[in-house]
Formats: sequence, C-alpha cells, structure tokens
Amino acid sequence: MWDKFVLELTQASHGIVENIARFLPRLLVMIVIVIIGWFIAWIFKVVLRSILRLAKFDKLSQDAGAAQLLNRAALPSSSELLSRLVFWVAWIGFILIGVSVLGIVGIEEHVARFFGFLPQLFASLFILFFGLLAASFFSRAALLAAVNSDLPSPRLISWTIRTLIIVFTISMGLEELGLGEHTVVVAFGIVFGALMFGLALAFGLGGQDLARQFLQRRFGRHGKEEHEDELSPL
Amino acid sequence: MTQLPDGLWYKDAVIYQVHVRTFFDANGDGIGDFRGLAQKIDYLAELGVTAIWLMPFFPSPLRDDGYDIADYRTVHPSYGVLDDFKAFLEIAHARGIRVIIELVLNHTSDQHPWFQESRSSRDNARRDWYVWSDTDTRYHGTRIIFIDTELSNWAWDPVSKQYYWHRFFSHQPDLNYDNPAVREEMWSVMKFWLAMGVDGFRLDAIPYLVEREGTSCENLPETHQIMRELRARMDQEYPGRMLLAEANQWPADLGPYFGNGDEFNMAFHFPLMPRMFMGLKLEDRKPITEILQQTPVIPENCQWCLFLRNHDELTLEMVTDTERDYMYDEYAKDKSMRLNLGIRRRLAPLLDNDRRRIELMNGLLMSLPGTPIVYYGDEIGMGDNVNLGDRNGVRTPMQWSGGWNGGFSNADPEALYTPLMLNPVYGYQAVNVESQKRFDHSLLSWMKRLIRARKAAPVFGRGSMEFLYPANHRILAFVRQLDKETVLAVNNLSSSAQAVELDLRRYKGNILIEMFGKNIFPRIGDLPYLLTMGPYEFFWFRLRKI
Amino acid sequence: MAEESILSDDFLRELMNVGEVDILVGLPTYNDARTVSHVVQAVRAGLLKYFPRQRAVIINADGGSKDSTQEIVRASSISDLQNAPNLHALRTLHSISTQYSGGHAPGAALHTILAAAELLRASTCAVVSPDSVNIEPEWIDRLLRPVARDNFDLITPIYRRHKFEGLLVSNLLYPITRALYCKPIREPYPSEFSFSGRLAVQMAGLDIWQQETGRIGGETYLVVSAITGGYQTGQVFLGPKSRTDQSAPADIVKALRQTVGILFSTLESNFPSCSAQGEMKIASSPDGRPAEIDTEPIRVNRKRLHQMFVRGIVDLEPVLKTILAASTLAELQRAAALPEENFRYTDELWVRSVYEFAASYHHSIISRDHIVQALAPLYRGKAYTFLTENRETSAQEVEVCVEQLCVKFEELKPYLVELWNGKK
Repeated sequence: MWDKFVLELTQASHGIVENIARFLPRLLVMIVIVIIGWFIAWIFKVVLRSILRLAKFDKLSQDAGAAQLLNRAALPSSSELLSRLVFWVAWIGFILIGVSVLGIVGIEEHVARFFGFLPQLFASLFILFFGLLAASFFSRAALLAAVNSDLPSPRLISWTIRTLIIVFTISMGLEELGLGEHTVVVAFGIVFGALMFGLALAFGLGGQDLARQFLQRRFGRHGKEEHEDELSPL
Repeated sequence: MTQLPDGLWYKDAVIYQVHVRTFFDANGDGIGDFRGLAQKIDYLAELGVTAIWLMPFFPSPLRDDGYDIADYRTVHPSYGVLDDFKAFLEIAHARGIRVIIELVLNHTSDQHPWFQESRSSRDNARRDWYVWSDTDTRYHGTRIIFIDTELSNWAWDPVSKQYYWHRFFSHQPDLNYDNPAVREEMWSVMKFWLAMGVDGFRLDAIPYLVEREGTSCENLPETHQIMRELRARMDQEYPGRMLLAEANQWPADLGPYFGNGDEFNMAFHFPLMPRMFMGLKLEDRKPITEILQQTPVIPENCQWCLFLRNHDELTLEMVTDTERDYMYDEYAKDKSMRLNLGIRRRLAPLLDNDRRRIELMNGLLMSLPGTPIVYYGDEIGMGDNVNLGDRNGVRTPMQWSGGWNGGFSNADPEALYTPLMLNPVYGYQAVNVESQKRFDHSLLSWMKRLIRARKAAPVFGRGSMEFLYPANHRILAFVRQLDKETVLAVNNLSSSAQAVELDLRRYKGNILIEMFGKNIFPRIGDLPYLLTMGPYEFFWFRLRKI
Repeated sequence: MAEESILSDDFLRELMNVGEVDILVGLPTYNDARTVSHVVQAVRAGLLKYFPRQRAVIINADGGSKDSTQEIVRASSISDLQNAPNLHALRTLHSISTQYSGGHAPGAALHTILAAAELLRASTCAVVSPDSVNIEPEWIDRLLRPVARDNFDLITPIYRRHKFEGLLVSNLLYPITRALYCKPIREPYPSEFSFSGRLAVQMAGLDIWQQETGRIGGETYLVVSAITGGYQTGQVFLGPKSRTDQSAPADIVKALRQTVGILFSTLESNFPSCSAQGEMKIASSPDGRPAEIDTEPIRVNRKRLHQMFVRGIVDLEPVLKTILAASTLAELQRAAALPEENFRYTDELWVRSVYEFAASYHHSIISRDHIVQALAPLYRGKAYTFLTENRETSAQEVEVCVEQLCVKFEELKPYLVELWNGKK
C-alpha cells in the first residue's frame, strides 16, 4: 500500500517535473514573445503617432467634435489615444500568441478569434470616427442654415441631426463588429433617421436656396409682407 | 461679246471721263485739244472703254471750269474749232467709242450774248429769258449752294437795275424755263449736237430749272415735265441717244428723274461712292449694303452711273455728320485736302497708292450694278496736286511718258495750262502710260483685263443684284444674275486674310469658274461654301451648271 | 486630359466672324427678360454715340434663362434703327448671344466674356449688369473712355445711391478692401465695370474658373487681382443705382459667399499685400460728385434684424466660440443681452469680429464656408446699428460714418496680422 503510494507519488512528481520541464521552455518562449511584442507594439505606437501628427489628425478629429468629447472626459488627444490603442492591441496580440505557445487547451481558439476580430474592430473604429466627423459637419451646417433662415429652434434641429447620425454610425459600427445581429433591426429603424439625414443634406447643401425658401415659406414665422422690408445686402 | 439691243448701249458701257484740255496737246500751245484727243483714241480703244464723257468744251470765260457757257454751238478756241470736234467724233465712232458731251441747261455765263441782251434793258426781247425781280426776297425758302462764296441767290444788276436769279455763282444767271422760247432754244441746241452725231448728254444742275414761290425750288414737277418733253423729242428724232442726269441727291429723291423710263436714261449714284471708301476703311460692308438697300428700283431701260473719282471733290454731301467726320479723318487729315463738303483727291493718293486697294475698288466699280465711269489718269494711278487751288489738283495733264512734259505737250513747261505732277511718287516720270504699257503687271494692263472681263459679262451692266450676308462682315459678297448667266462677286474689304462661309445652297450643283484666270473652283454642295481671301482680294466667279 | 472648353463651337464660329474688335461689352444674364432690353438699347446707343468708329461687339453670356432673355437680347440688337433714328451706325455693331455650359454661374459668364475678349483681341472691355434699370448711354462712355484713352486697366463705378442702399459695401466690403489692399475702391464687388484687354487676357488664363472661387466671385477676384497685380485702377461716377427688385428677399449668405468669402480667399496668396495707403484715381467725372439720390425713405424692418442678430449669437455659440476670441464673443453676448434700444454694435467690436473671422478662415478652424455663413448674424447686427445711428442723418454724414469705420479697419490691421501669423 505504502509502496504503491510512494510509487504513485514518484510517478506523479516525475510527471510534474516532466510537465514542468516540458512547460518551462514554453514559458520562456512566451516571455520572450511578450517582451519582443512589447517592443514591436511600442514601435507601432511611435510610428503611428508621428504619422498622425504629420497628417494633422488632431485637427480633423477636432472638426469631428471628438476632441471636445475627449477633453470633457479628461483623455489625451485623439492621436495619442489612437496610437495607445494600437499599442495595446498589438501587445495584447503578442501576449495572446505567447499564451497560445503554452499549449493550454482552448486558448488557441480564443486567440484565433481575437485576431479574426481585429479587422472588424478597426473598421468599426473607422466608421465611428467618420460618423462623428459627418455628424459634426452636418449638424453645424444645419445650425447655420437654420439660424440664417430664421427657423425656430436651430439648436434642436442641429442636435437632432447630430444625434441621428451618431446613432446611425454607432449601430453601423456595432454591426461591423458583429456584436449584435439584431442591431440590423435597429438600423432599419434608423432608416427613418437616414431619411432625415438625407433631408438635412439636401437642405444644407444641395438645394440650399430652394430649401431655405421652402422652409421660410413653410415654417417661417414672418409673413410675406415683411420680406419686403428685408434689406438689400449689396 | 454678245450683241445686245443697241438702244440700251449705255447699260453695257464703260465710260471714260476726260476734259479735252487735260488729255493731249496736238498744236503745242500747252492746252489739250480735240486733235490731240483724236490722236489718242487708239489708247482708249485699247483700254477697252466704250464711251467718252467730255466735260464742257464750249466758249466760256472759264470762271467755273467751263460750266459757265458763253456759246452753246461751238467749241472753245483753245481746244480747236468745230471741225476738229467733228473729226474727233468721226474717229471715235470708227473705233466703236461713243461720245457723251456735257450741257448746262440751268444757267449760262453772264458773258453769253443772251444775258447781255437780256440785261441791256428791261424791255428787251430776251428780258424774260432770265429770272428778274425787283426784290431779293422772292423764292425765300431756297438754299444757297455755294455757301462759301455766295450770300444770296439774287444778284443786283446795275445795268438794268433789277435782281437776277442765280443758283450757282453770281456770274451764272439762271435761264427762265417758264419761257417757251427758252425751252425751244435749248432743244435746238441739243438738236445741233445730236445731228452732228453726239451719243448722249450729261446734263448739269438739273434739279434747279424751274422756280416756284414757297418751295425749295429743287426737283419741282415742272422741271420733270420739261425734261420729259426734251426726252420725248430726242427719242423721236434721234433714237438710241442718252440723257445722264447730274443731281447730287439721295437715291430716294433721284427716283423721279428716271420717271417711268421716260425722263433720264442714267443718273449718278452719288451716295454710294463715299460709302465704298468708307466701307474699305472701316473694313465693314455695312455702309455699302445699307446704301444699296435704300436705293430704289429703277425702270428697266434706266441705269445708275457709278464712279470712284471724278473732276470734282469726293463729295460728302450725301453722308451723315459722323460719317463725314470719319471720312475727313481717314482720307483727308490734312485740311488742305478738303474742299466745300468733300475731299479733293484722286483715287491712288486716297488709297495710299496701295495697288491691292486700288484693284479692289476698281473691281467693285466694275461689278456693282450700274455703268462704271473711269476718270482719266486713274487707270494708271495718277496722283493729285493739292497745292493747286480749287479742284485743279485733280485736273493735271495726262501723263503719257517720262519725256518732255510727260508726253502731254511740246510747249514750254511754263506754258502748260497747269503744272505737271513732278513728285517722285506720282510724277510723270514714275507714273505714265508708256512705262505701264511695257509690263503685264502694271495697273494699266490690269485695268485693261478688268474692263475686258467686265465687258465679257453683260450681267454686270444689266443683271439683278442680290447681296449674300455671310457672317463675316468684312466680306462683301453679291450675286448678279441675268437670264441664265449668274456671277458671284466676293470682296474682302479687310487688310488681313479672311475666311468666309457663303450660303450658296440655292446654286447647288454649280461649279465656280474664276473669271480672270478661268480656273475651276469646287462644286457647290449642301455645306456653306468656304473661301479664303487674301488682304483686299476679290473674286468674280461665273456659275456654271455642267 | 482634354479639358472641356467653355466656348461652344457655334460661339467660336461667331467670334471668328466678328474678328478683331476694339471694344467688347459683356452682358451676363440669367432670367433677366424684364430689364435686359433696356440695358441692351442703352449699351448700343452708348456705343453708337460715343464710339462710332470703334469696332465693337456685345457679348451676352446667358446662364440658361428660361424666360427668353436671349431672344430679347437678339431682338433688341437689330431694332436699333427704329428706336434711335438719330444714331446712325458707321459700321456693323455685332451682338452675340451665347449660353455657357454648366448652368447659371456668374463666374462662368464672366469667364466667357473674358475668353471672348482675349480671342477678339479687344483692347477695351466692359461688363454691364442686365438689371441696371437706370443705365444711360453715357455710362458706356464713362466706363470705357478711361480704359480706351487713358490706359486704365480697371475702372470700377461709384454709384449715386440711397444712403441705406449698399449696406454690405459701405459697412464691410469697402472698408476691409481699403484696409487690406490699401485702395479706397468704393465698389469692390461691382456689377458694372470696365477693364483693359491685357487684364482680360491675364484673368482669362487663370485656373480659378473651374473652382468655386471663380464660379461665384469672379468679379471680386478680378478687382483684387487688378489691385495686387499692380494694374492701373480707377473709378468713375456712373449715376444712380437702385436694385430693380426691391421685393425679392435678399440672400445675405449668398452675398457674403460671393464677396467676403472670395475676399478672404484672395488673402491667402496676397497677405499682407501692402502697408502704405494707396490712392484710387477718379478717372473722370462728367457731372461731379454724386449727390444723394433721393430722400424717399426705404422701409426697413430693423426689429427683425436685431432679433436675428440676438438669436444668431445665442444659437451659434458653439460655432462662434471656435471662430472668435473669447473676449470678443463675451462682448457680443453682452451686447445681445441688452434690450433693443440700448443695443449698439460698435465699430471697434465689428472690426475685431471681422478680423477674427478672416484669421479663422485663414487657419481653416472649421469648414471655411461655415465661417462665412456664421458671419451673417453678426452682419445683421452691424446693419441694425448702422441704420439706427443714421436714421436722421444726411448722406454726407453717412459718408463720414463710413470713413470712420474705414479708419478703424486700418487702425486694427496689426491685430489681424497678429492673428494671421500667430495661433488663435
């Protein structure tokens, strides 16, 4: 009985030692990969940061209104944020590669999913960014047009347009991430919003004059007789 | 040349205008004469002209260049005797050249025996051959023609103590056409020359024959009546002769002088001439097309007389003030070149002696509807002498050669009636018949070819006229048509090369034959006919359907 | 790449037939059937009367009118004989009416006219507005003569106007142009002007015409180019000018785009263009300085101007915040908070606002078009102040006011330079 126990123990400790002996090199490899990965991710970050600075990305995001958001959340500038994101994504990627080297059952699958997920992540970030950009631009265009046409509640119009576009964008981003197939339904719901967006586009850019005259006639608080009092600007 | 009814010879004529004094001096007294003129008939026949228009050659005190006639029935002694004239007439007719002489019906010289009798006493038999009055206020509304020299149309006669009527100079009393005896006498004067064989008369100062109170005393119906009577008598007794009216009037006012083809055969188209010069300078056809559009249609047997230059100044009476100022500025910058309302210059100096422009203008003269008149010397490009007074600058002796007196006379140069042209550009040594005869490319040779081409196409004299209006306004293009003969004339009034697209679809299928070189040009199709014209170039095309 | 030509083949053929000209008068039209006939007659009469000897052409560049404007132009081009029997044309007076491609755009019309001027080798050119109801044949003489005779390259007009007409010009365009370009040019956005052939050739060769700048603001661009290019510029008194269509709602934003927008954009390549104040020659003045046109009051709804100003300041706050300096915005907000009778938009504040707008435009803080649009409410406030202050004053006093504003613009120019070079 004791002998059997000792045998089992030795066998087990052998097994453990063997396992450890087998595991240690992998761990070392993993650590090496993680360290190298950190370096590579850092290089990514630095390169991306300088590229974004050269491309004046901050100004663009300021136009998109992202900068104000970040400011409000006490976050660093958008290019800094983006390069940090890239750093982390890259490093996590390397960590995951390293972990997969450990040969833990089931990890490979998760790692593969992580890498499969990466393009979607970037695409949705991309969509989100330009969505914000568009939302800001069109809401401002609508605001200016509304103010200059003397429409009621220009801020509300502007806010509505901005919200609609952002909602639309987010839903599209989520869709891209594949996080919720059901958001498609939401997107369909937002088709109405898209219509509004289209209208805003039309009124803001395309038929500025027509649309404004139409709106003035339609919603303008002032009757025709007061147009005659309008001053010649030239 | 096709034989046409002779009665309308004047429609096909090319007339050469000359003063006998200026052409050739046969007797060596320094003044041209009829014997000299007769000697030079060959030159004119060779040039191709078919008629000569002789300016007044009657005895006269010559205070108005012979237009003040002192005797209607003979020639001025300086130019020979009446027999010399008859001899000249015979030679001219023998060479197929008709002779048109000039008569002044409206007035005589105050040296004429009729006026001498008339003024001798108030009860003289010829007293009412002229227009006499106790006051100078009759015919109040009548304009004065020579505003530079005359203050009134009435002049005081100290002999018979009455005023006499004169529309021109005071030494030119007007005949009284209300007097039948005057009318009869003038007809007998005409008969005198017609019987001798003269082919036509240029009648001077026609609008002024009759005076009526309360009118302008111009173009009166009575005047027309007198002319119709004269014409009827002439046609009856001497058929085939011609009357040419000198009436410097707007074309619309000239219409009545043709009557129904029973008054004058021909009349000068005065307003066209300055507009040809104007169109050339403006490089724009507008002045020419405009005036020809305003020109009335005249009876079948009548004809316009066209000219570029004549013995008078280039008259600018028939233009607007703007146009006159423009003409002065462009053609007579030097004030000494201006006279009355006109420019006293010859063709070549007016056109800066530019051969291309001279050719273009002569081309227009020969192709526009009417009978062309060539003023003597212009066929060789003679110049003018503005230093001679009045219009004498354009009446210098004909330049025959580079020799003594330019070949005009054997007299001493000092004895010439007027000095010859001597300057290096236009002087007789540079410009003369003899030297130009030697070369095919000379202006004289070219003029011969031009006249030949003109005479080869009766359509120019008799055909209808239709302007084409290509979009390029520097191109004057028109179609002349007579029966089956169609001629297209295209003139570039511009100093630069031009492209022109002519709408000739009506003549589709015809080929064009250039009339000088007889070369064939492409057939007319559906597309606009494209021509490229050099500076001041002109083309005459005969349209042939083959 | 084969670029599409703005000149159609038919138009080109007509130009060929016209050949070389001395004078070209351009007439840009777009649905001007009501007034264009009178303008064409006046131009024709002017050309025949004052330039009978010159080869002249009238070029009508139409933007695709639907009201038979072109037909009217063509018709009035041939009926001169009946209408002016005492004016006899010496030579053919050409008229060409063409429709430029790409739809209505004032710049395209001007480009067409400039291109025609170049091709026809016109030495003297003018553009007249098809809705100038007050135009007289004399205008043609006054416009063209300085160019034709005195070698001016650009002649802009001085109109006799009601003191309350041309507010944008007197409150903004004239002072700022004068301050920035050092030329007291009274109408920097002229509807009638004349120019020399060499300026036309230079302008026609620019590549602005395909861009928005050229399409909407060719005239302003031409004026600025003439000034900065060292061309000889001058002004003439033309006569009374009044808008034909007083009842049409005035589109301030559009006007600002065409004028201020273009002016700002020209600054990009020309800043700072000058330091010493230059002078603008008065080329000719046949009947002296223009007096006030009439005293017939123009009804102006000032209340609404004020309202729109206040609402604009409130609603546009997020936009204005990016454009204006904090202190300027605060001052504006304080002013907007005042009751109407106490409100006053001071010259100094106005000039500062405008300069800050110009600098923001330069730095492209936000979309440049949005910057120009955001100026509209502010301009309304300034117009309100101007109208209120000058309700009782004479035309001469108004001129003094405008002069003061000009001086203010000139005084504060260093502020703009600072904003321009530094960061906001």
